[in-house]
Amino acid sequence: MATIPAQHADFPSSIPQSRTHAAETTASIPWYIWCATVAVTSATIGGYWDISWHSSIGRDTFWTPAHMAIQLCGVLAGIAFGYLILHTTFSKNSPLAPASVHIFGFRAPIGAFIASWGGIAMLTSAPFDNWWHDAYGIDVKIVSPPHILLIMGVYSVVIGTLVLLAGHMNRGQAQSHANERRLILYINGIMLVQFMILLMEATNRPYLHSARAYLGVALLPPIVLALSSRLTRYPFAATFVTAFYMLFRIGLILILPLFPAEPKLGPVYQQVTHFVPPDFPLLFIVPAFLLDLLWQRTKSWNDWKVAAVSSAIWVSVFLALEWPFATFLMSRASNNWFFGTGYLYFALPPKSFVARHAFYPSGGPVEFSLAMIFAFMLGTLAFRWGINRGEWLGKIKR
Amino acid sequence: MKRVRLATPFVFLTLTALAHAHVGSTDIFLEGKAGPYQLFVTVRPPLTIPGVAEIEVRSESAGVREIKAVPLAIKGAGSKLAPIPDALKVSANDPKFFVGQLWMMTSGSWQARLTVEGAQGEGTLSIPVPAVARASKRMQLGLGLILSCVGIFLVTGLVAIVGASVREARLDPGQTPAPTDLRRGRKATIIGAVIVLAIVFGGNAWWNSEAQQYDTRIYKPLRMAASLKGSELHLRMTEPGWMQAISLEQAAFRVFTRKMDDLIPDHGHIMHLYMIRQPGLDVIYHLHPDERDTGSFVLPLPSTEGGHYKLYADIVHADGFPETLTSEIDLPALAARPLAGDDAFAQGEPWQKSTPNTVFTLPDGYKMEWLRPSQAIHARQGMSFNFRLLKPDGTTPADMSLYMGMLGHAAFVKTDGTVFAHIHPNGSISMAALMLAEGMPADMKMDSAQGVLPNAVGFPFGFPSPGKYRIFVQMKHAETVETGIFDVDCLLPIQNG
Repeated sequence: MATIPAQHADFPSSIPQSRTHAAETTASIPWYIWCATVAVTSATIGGYWDISWHSSIGRDTFWTPAHMAIQLCGVLAGIAFGYLILHTTFSKNSPLAPASVHIFGFRAPIGAFIASWGGIAMLTSAPFDNWWHDAYGIDVKIVSPPHILLIMGVYSVVIGTLVLLAGHMNRGQAQSHANERRLILYINGIMLVQFMILLMEATNRPYLHSARAYLGVALLPPIVLALSSRLTRYPFAATFVTAFYMLFRIGLILILPLFPAEPKLGPVYQQVTHFVPPDFPLLFIVPAFLLDLLWQRTKSWNDWKVAAVSSAIWVSVFLALEWPFATFLMSRASNNWFFGTGYLYFALPPKSFVARHAFYPSGGPVEFSLAMIFAFMLGTLAFRWGINRGEWLGKIKR
Repeated sequence: MKRVRLATPFVFLTLTALAHAHVGSTDIFLEGKAGPYQLFVTVRPPLTIPGVAEIEVRSESAGVREIKAVPLAIKGAGSKLAPIPDALKVSANDPKFFVGQLWMMTSGSWQARLTVEGAQGEGTLSIPVPAVARASKRMQLGLGLILSCVGIFLVTGLVAIVGASVREARLDPGQTPAPTDLRRGRKATIIGAVIVLAIVFGGNAWWNSEAQQYDTRIYKPLRMAASLKGSELHLRMTEPGWMQAISLEQAAFRVFTRKMDDLIPDHGHIMHLYMIRQPGLDVIYHLHPDERDTGSFVLPLPSTEGGHYKLYADIVHADGFPETLTSEIDLPALAARPLAGDDAFAQGEPWQKSTPNTVFTLPDGYKMEWLRPSQAIHARQGMSFNFRLLKPDGTTPADMSLYMGMLGHAAFVKTDGTVFAHIHPNGSISMAALMLAEGMPADMKMDSAQGVLPNAVGFPFGFPSPGKYRIFVQMKHAETVETGIFDVDCLLPIQNG
């Protein structure tokens, strides 16, 4: 990538700041951020719908409603951010021109570039995934290279939206930015819900007595929680974000089975008559609430110290809660409309751990303890990174 | 992130040399009855699993209104619950021709169950379909170039975003980056480039790992080693490492695992062994070794012509999954036991000295005739190969009998050795698998036909590729098994036909 000389003509040094402020400080949340919010919401609903589609019906085409919901994210992001970049670059009166960064001769707020990158990655994943199916078979798993490209694309749209929103908030002169903060919390909630798609294969019920589930949980959610807390300064940001995740997942358990669906693929090992929802959410809200209490009292602490203590709380409290709760989820008592452990993927072999409501054998206590120490270290890094990103977003102006 | 496997403008396939149940011949042809309706069914399994098989059905009976197809496991839990069946599409030009797709999601022993509805009521027909991954496909040049370009754009774009975010994102609106900002931006760009490239290389390694993992799922038949001890032929099977669960997790999810101790008899024998002398394909034995131990077969050879032989051994696993194992052996001329039981032998001219024929004169003066259609034969074209046996005076034998429960057996062999298919009057499927798919015991005795048997037999088949083929046809009258030898040239497949 070429760096830009200080005297480069593209740098809008001659654009008066007052114009930007005049245009923005009085404005409410701009339309393109709402558009992006709808986009990431659509991708999130589409992602879970698609997983349920594959668990219940199995066969799909490019044109399933779930795929359309995911692609709508790309379309809306393309419209919103494409317009933003082009308008900011080529319009002589764009209020965002002074609040832009410069990439490949274009200019726009950095969030617009991040989200556009995501849109292009999403588009690229489609032919890549199609070829992947031809080459290696129609995959029935979430974590494959083309799927990861798609997920990276969606995440980039989410992150781009967050950056754009943070920049908008930071440029404003209002004191509270209450709407922006609420929307940031919502976007963070979406981000956590999406991260949990990536962790779905590691946190399936049978793995909840295995190290892999706790390693995954120590890696991704802390980034979102620390980031949202530092960016919004809202005292219960982590609680809100995890509550959103849990309510979203519980909502799917309550709603999806209301709609009929039958397998269109064999082999069929489990009788399925309605859409199969995802597993009951992980019990994040309790350790998240404790983190919020911690963070309210540790504002003067060194960030590394905050991260280490946060990780210790996150890993230990989550482990203490989820382990026995997983035992409950494996019992007959959880086979009901609320916990939904009776909803099984139609092609789940009868001898599989999920179908037998059995835990995947974990390693011995020493091996597990070492893994939890590693989870603590991983969590420390993740919280520190989240703090760092939250602070960075708090200073974004463009 | 991107690993582009460049190829020529054509789609390249890394095909295994051998294919399940037959060698080099994967399409399934079956002629059978769905209730009152006579059907000719062709199933073209997918290259990859999971994948989509193509199914074509020609009704040879009038009045068929609708055909539905559903894929099911032949045995086990997956055979009890069925997905929603698909209605096959009727051809606009031919109301008796139906086409559709079957989604095969796991390797193993499947069946396509057809339900036919028409003027004479409803009928069903099950077609065994062994599902295995046979290839991985390389990327077309055009797609590879496009994805490479976009990939480069994404990589450079990401690095540029990292640089710009450090250089400018925190500046107040309208503020020009100071030299320190530019320096920090350059530094971030370099670090970003290193990290992004590391991600790209990591992605490439992951892609390679996924491809290698897929390669382990590509079908490999059981290996078979042949040796001669005195006049005994010893065959030893070994597992090359296909569909073996390598972890507890895989074992729990894997529905199909190949074993060697689960072989079942297929029309009376646990193994059907064809020994064909190379390179002329001029001598053929159809023999039946006994299983002495798991993976170990022994056969006291009959008197044998000396030479280099290719061995094709058909076996069927307990779930109906058929395999053809191959080996080669040099045999001396043996003076041993006479042919007995279901043993059969034939000798003809080497194919190099022969020309396409429709009549073969047998050693006892009988004649076998191929009722060959007048038009040329093209690859991938399903058709019935019909033969009849005549006495030396040209009349119909009155003493026709069943050969291993059927009116005949045929082996279709390509002269370059790339194709071998052991075919029955029902089609190219394993008879044991067919019985299992129809819900009958796999080893049910089939020689229960009563009355005078016809002197004609048909074999549904289609040559998989163009070239020269030799067809060995076996029919039986009284206690004599007759083997006719026919040569045929197969042309290129008809495009869009």
